[in-house]
Amino acid sequence: MGEPFLLKYIREADQGEYEAYVSRGGYEGLRKALAMPPEQVTEEVDRSGLRGRGGAGFPTGRKWKFLPKDPAVTKYLVVNADEGEPGTFKDRTLIEGDPHRLIEGIVIGSYAIGARQAFIYLRREFYKGRAILERALAQAYAQGVLGEHVLGSGYDLDIILATGAGAYIAGEETGLLESLEGRRAMPRLKPPFYPAVKGLYMQPTALNNVETLCHVAWILSGGAEWYKAQGSPILVSVSGHVQQPGVYEVPLGTPIREVIALAGGMRPGRTFKACFPGGSSSAILSAAYLDVPMDYDLMKLDVYGSMLGSAALIVMDDTACMIEIVARAVEFYRDESCGKCTPCREGTVWLGQVYERILRGGGQDSDIELLQGIAKGMTGTCFCPLGESVPPAIASSLRFFRSEYDHHIRTGTCDVRAHAEG
Amino acid sequence: MSSPPPTVTLSINGRTVSVIKGTTIYQAARGIGIEIPIFCYHDRMPPLGACRMCLVHVANAPKLQTSCTLEAAEGMVVRTDTPEARAGQEAILEYLLINHPLDCPICDKGGECPLQDQTYRWGPGASRYTEVKRDFAKPVSLGPVLVLDRERCILCWRCVRFGEIIAGDDALKGFERGFGSNINTPFTLPVASKFIGNTIAICPVGALTSRSYRFVSRPWDNRTTASVCTLCGVGCAVWLDARGDDLTRVRAREAPEINDVWLCDLGFFGHSYLRHEDRLRQPLIRREGRLQSASWDAALDLVASRLRSAGSRVGVLAGPRLTNEDAYVAGRFFRTVVGTAHLDHRTDARAGSVSLDVAWGLRAPIAAIDRADCVVLAGCDVTEEYPVLWLRMKQAVDRGAVVIAVTPKALEVDRDIAHHLVHRYGEGAAVLAGLQAAVAGREPDADLGGVARGRLALAAKTLATAQRPLVLAGALALDAPDGREIWQRLGDLAARWTSTPSVMRGRGNAFGAALAGLLPERGPGGRRLEEAAGTLAAAWGATIAGGRGFSSPGMLEAASRGDLDVLYVLGTDPATDVPDGRQWTAARARVPFVVAHDAFLTATAATADVVLPTLVLPEKDGTVSNIEGRVQRLRRAAPGPGEARGDAVILSGLAARMGHPIAYSAWEEIFDEMRTLIPGLEVGAVLPLAGPGPESQPPDGVRASPRTALHGDPSDPNPVRGADGDLSPEATDAGDSLVLIPGSTLFDQGSMSSRSRAIADLAGAPWALLHPQDAGRLGITDGDPIVLTAADRSIARRALVRPALLPGQVYVPRGYDAAPLNALVDASRPVSRVRVQVLAAVAGAGDEPEGGR
Amino acid sequence: MAQFPRRQSALLGALFVAQEEAGYLRPDVVAEVAQILDLAESEVVSVASFYHLFYFEPVGRDLIQVCTNISCMLNGCHRVLTRLRERLGIEVGRTTPDGAYTLRTAECLGACEEAPVVMVGTERYGPVTPEGIDDLLDMGSPQTQGPLAPHEEDR
Repeated sequence: MGEPFLLKYIREADQGEYEAYVSRGGYEGLRKALAMPPEQVTEEVDRSGLRGRGGAGFPTGRKWKFLPKDPAVTKYLVVNADEGEPGTFKDRTLIEGDPHRLIEGIVIGSYAIGARQAFIYLRREFYKGRAILERALAQAYAQGVLGEHVLGSGYDLDIILATGAGAYIAGEETGLLESLEGRRAMPRLKPPFYPAVKGLYMQPTALNNVETLCHVAWILSGGAEWYKAQGSPILVSVSGHVQQPGVYEVPLGTPIREVIALAGGMRPGRTFKACFPGGSSSAILSAAYLDVPMDYDLMKLDVYGSMLGSAALIVMDDTACMIEIVARAVEFYRDESCGKCTPCREGTVWLGQVYERILRGGGQDSDIELLQGIAKGMTGTCFCPLGESVPPAIASSLRFFRSEYDHHIRTGTCDVRAHAEG
Repeated sequence: MSSPPPTVTLSINGRTVSVIKGTTIYQAARGIGIEIPIFCYHDRMPPLGACRMCLVHVANAPKLQTSCTLEAAEGMVVRTDTPEARAGQEAILEYLLINHPLDCPICDKGGECPLQDQTYRWGPGASRYTEVKRDFAKPVSLGPVLVLDRERCILCWRCVRFGEIIAGDDALKGFERGFGSNINTPFTLPVASKFIGNTIAICPVGALTSRSYRFVSRPWDNRTTASVCTLCGVGCAVWLDARGDDLTRVRAREAPEINDVWLCDLGFFGHSYLRHEDRLRQPLIRREGRLQSASWDAALDLVASRLRSAGSRVGVLAGPRLTNEDAYVAGRFFRTVVGTAHLDHRTDARAGSVSLDVAWGLRAPIAAIDRADCVVLAGCDVTEEYPVLWLRMKQAVDRGAVVIAVTPKALEVDRDIAHHLVHRYGEGAAVLAGLQAAVAGREPDADLGGVARGRLALAAKTLATAQRPLVLAGALALDAPDGREIWQRLGDLAARWTSTPSVMRGRGNAFGAALAGLLPERGPGGRRLEEAAGTLAAAWGATIAGGRGFSSPGMLEAASRGDLDVLYVLGTDPATDVPDGRQWTAARARVPFVVAHDAFLTATAATADVVLPTLVLPEKDGTVSNIEGRVQRLRRAAPGPGEARGDAVILSGLAARMGHPIAYSAWEEIFDEMRTLIPGLEVGAVLPLAGPGPESQPPDGVRASPRTALHGDPSDPNPVRGADGDLSPEATDAGDSLVLIPGSTLFDQGSMSSRSRAIADLAGAPWALLHPQDAGRLGITDGDPIVLTAADRSIARRALVRPALLPGQVYVPRGYDAAPLNALVDASRPVSRVRVQVLAAVAGAGDEPEGGR
Repeated sequence: MAQFPRRQSALLGALFVAQEEAGYLRPDVVAEVAQILDLAESEVVSVASFYHLFYFEPVGRDLIQVCTNISCMLNGCHRVLTRLRERLGIEVGRTTPDGAYTLRTAECLGACEEAPVVMVGTERYGPVTPEGIDDLLDMGSPQTQGPLAPHEEDR
């Protein structure tokens, strides 16, 4: 297990400057990549075992291999920098703190798949990140890292920086492509439009997350073997009721309890109650799961919808009202639903109304069954993952915190709140 | 020989079915009679998978699958009836209903509503929903025809996708998102579409309804008749729904080779004139200078006696509002009983125009349009003239075809036109010459007709690579001053692909009129009279009037000279249709007796000596022919008003009075007689286009070059005045006037359209299109009332200021009877020029222009 | 720098430019964008209305966005929001009578380590306390650096 490296230079004030980046070994990975045939670059990434860090966890090398090899076919690389999953802020941290790493990863990835144009779809609200990235891109062009003859090679690449306009669903890969094409960010039908086959402008497209591409830069720099020896690090965004919220680099499989400890532990006098291990679309885990390792096996837990996702660990202590939390998550998905499919559009509204009524003190005994029923009707019936993100929090909160629901419904009040404030 | 398409075999609800690879589960199930509920899916559009109603259970799939999007695969095991699938369907219906107002008893869709039907079949017994339903402002009006009730909308996106995929007009869109998603127009403005009636038809709930049908009838109270729309020339198949004597609505009838399942809004909403109170119910005879009601006997006696004495000095202006049988009987009656050779249906053609020398119609099957890889629209304003054909072109465009438009006025489908060559009126031939040269490898060295040479070169590049081009010439090209040369150029161009340009001319049943023989020197089937006279004489048991027949402009000229004693007008309104109104006025002033068959007191009828009230096409039985020559069955959907009669019946009455009875028991009898004279005639047949010029060929065949039409006939008695001439500015009194482009528009205010309220409203006030540059110079802003003056005549219109034409010109559509275009045209000159002023500037200056406020 | 391969891709960017100039997307502004990009006006409005950051009605010179998502909620964003409503005298979604501020709630702004997070214009602040709001508003324009530490300084 090596030293943390993903965040190694993140706090260096000049890390966004080309010279500083290069002086710390930057763009070495790219030089090595350009010396290899593209397929070998893909192979290297594949051998590293890197899995996409956007939430789905699909192996990056394999994803690239889905793209056609024919050089006559126009291909694109698209960077998903539309970080919006509640509780996730690692990509923003990387963009603001190490922009050239991202650019390096983009050039390597584009070279590997044979793209001549790459696009960064950046969340609009990341104004600071955009300024930093724009500056870094200009430097990269000026230094010959971008444009014609990348680093003196025969390879040309342009990077186009685009921004969103306020829509969580644009973070869904096909919604992102729609948005990048200047349309409503409504997800596309898959199949036939798997991005690797028909992506941006209906051309084969590799879609990668910011963190993923930063890993790629490190992998090419140090080699797949070195990377694996580091323990397949991941970035966890820790927030909520911890003393030192922030982004932490840990080896894949670090138990939740340890990650919380890294983040300074719980606030004085408070105890752990629950957490979302992978953002608000993952199931809520209770204290009984504190020793569960944060890795892709989270999905195999006996809790419906549990997953690592984008590794956004939202920690809640004993002052958190679970009904309020879940209601807020439901509202979020309701407001961010694109409206295309029925269950997501209508189900979230209905769920929101029931939660609101319960919180207002108008709960009824039948509401538990109703919530379960609505959530069940959305499970496996939605067009895209957004709608499917709603049931896990409902089901898991009903399982672990049923008594809180009962109390709300019975008394019309919140005992957690009363206790916390009293 | 091509091998059969690969198939896959799967099982649905335990039944084994083999389908062509690429078939969806939904289609495969429907093929064996297993119904799967749907909302968003429409079989004319790619699947969307949005409503999630069609969920089915597929063995080994981790979750339910939408059957409309899932392709059938070998060995797939599908069930539509498992508890999981049923639960999924129930859940979706329950979600859809939580925000749907259950106002079915007052909803127009009630009784034919997919949501209602599917809830009954697949829905949960009761809803668990007790919260407050979504709230939108109650029905909003989106223009003259469309009413939107967003509370009823279930967001299936069909109407939006219709506008994107089928019509290309993006008329309705989804706004906001999530639970706030709503279908609307931007800023709730009136919907801008020529096809919006289709969205009403495909709406699976009562969210989109038509103003004209709102609360009019319940579906089960409608009597439905399969017929044909005859308002343009496409001949779309329709269902005419009537309740009692009233036509309640028009719906598209599936006809894959014509309109598929669509209609245009003229077809949907242009039939309400039928029961208008202005319909003529009794014959009128002019007595003491006034038209007065008369009996049929009196009217027919009078007409018969005048016809008898006039004999060969009768001119017959027939038109597009006759059935094939009416037109045939008219030909027989006038050529034998009356004994005249002067019959023509082409009232709106300019003297000397090449339009008079060629057969009108489409020289390719309508269904072939979607297979073209290049469409050349030369002066053919397709959405204004033959709107449903545009839907075919849109399909072609979506498959990669390119549209090249060579036209004096930009077409509204601009976004789908790859090369939009907007030229100065009268210089289309020059543009085509440049295009032709560029295709042959000689790049233009100058701009032509106002079209930049670079654009020409680009268009030529595309055209040169075309494999299956379709060349369409419209009235804006053929009746232009350089129409004859345009036709020649187009012919030469099309000859590259051994094809022939089509003459996109003629509305209604113009094609049937030509087929039946309402052309000078042409008999049934378009045969030359001199060749067919013997056959016809034998069939009709009478002599056929000989001698050269006048064309429509020829008749007017002859009448003005005093060479005709009777003008007999049926199925047309020459006073507003002829290109130059003065010609009609002069003819009418000189000819002693004018008879008009019409349903309304048109400008022609108003000055006639006898007016005979007729049935209109939806009140008739028989056949009509469309622009590709297809013969279709027209069925009477409603009775006519008062004593109105069919045209053939009227003519039979006259024949009897004139001692040569032509009597038929029913339309079939006429049709059978026609079949003996017109080879291949039967319902559903596509017949060669009838007309002058090169002998007709089947639509698929290779025809002689239209160039032959150029040579004309030196012995032709018809005038060629106003033919192609010198267009240089010196040749005309330019001054501060603008070149007049005589145009047309789908929604106008003619005798019928002005009495179909929705169409009159869609048409709006009569307008004229000006370039912003001219408007600015003349102090005119968009929407201003303006006066257009030519010589001593003027009309009032509203200014439409758009850069849709080149400066120095004004585009004025015909069809507004109150401010007729033909008041401005001077047919004795190659181009007419008009002065344009803001109305205020001339107010009080004396005569109130026609169509004034 | 490179261009989008297809024109419509420039729509969101063009709308931001137009909105910055005009303040909000009036019908004439929409028409102009549609004309420049050769798009139907209906398409332009449809797309713009999908995204939170386009306005069809006038907004304040500065947009104040308070994140109310879970991490910020756990860290007291509602007290911040209440304070803002009191100080500005407006409800969420409204604009102050002087046209200075429009107050909105926002979904996760991707800075949960600084929860609760507030954005004023293009500047992000956090963690913000109700008292910090007073300082923020007293400072006037957010462009003027004031006592409230912008986010880039370590917490």
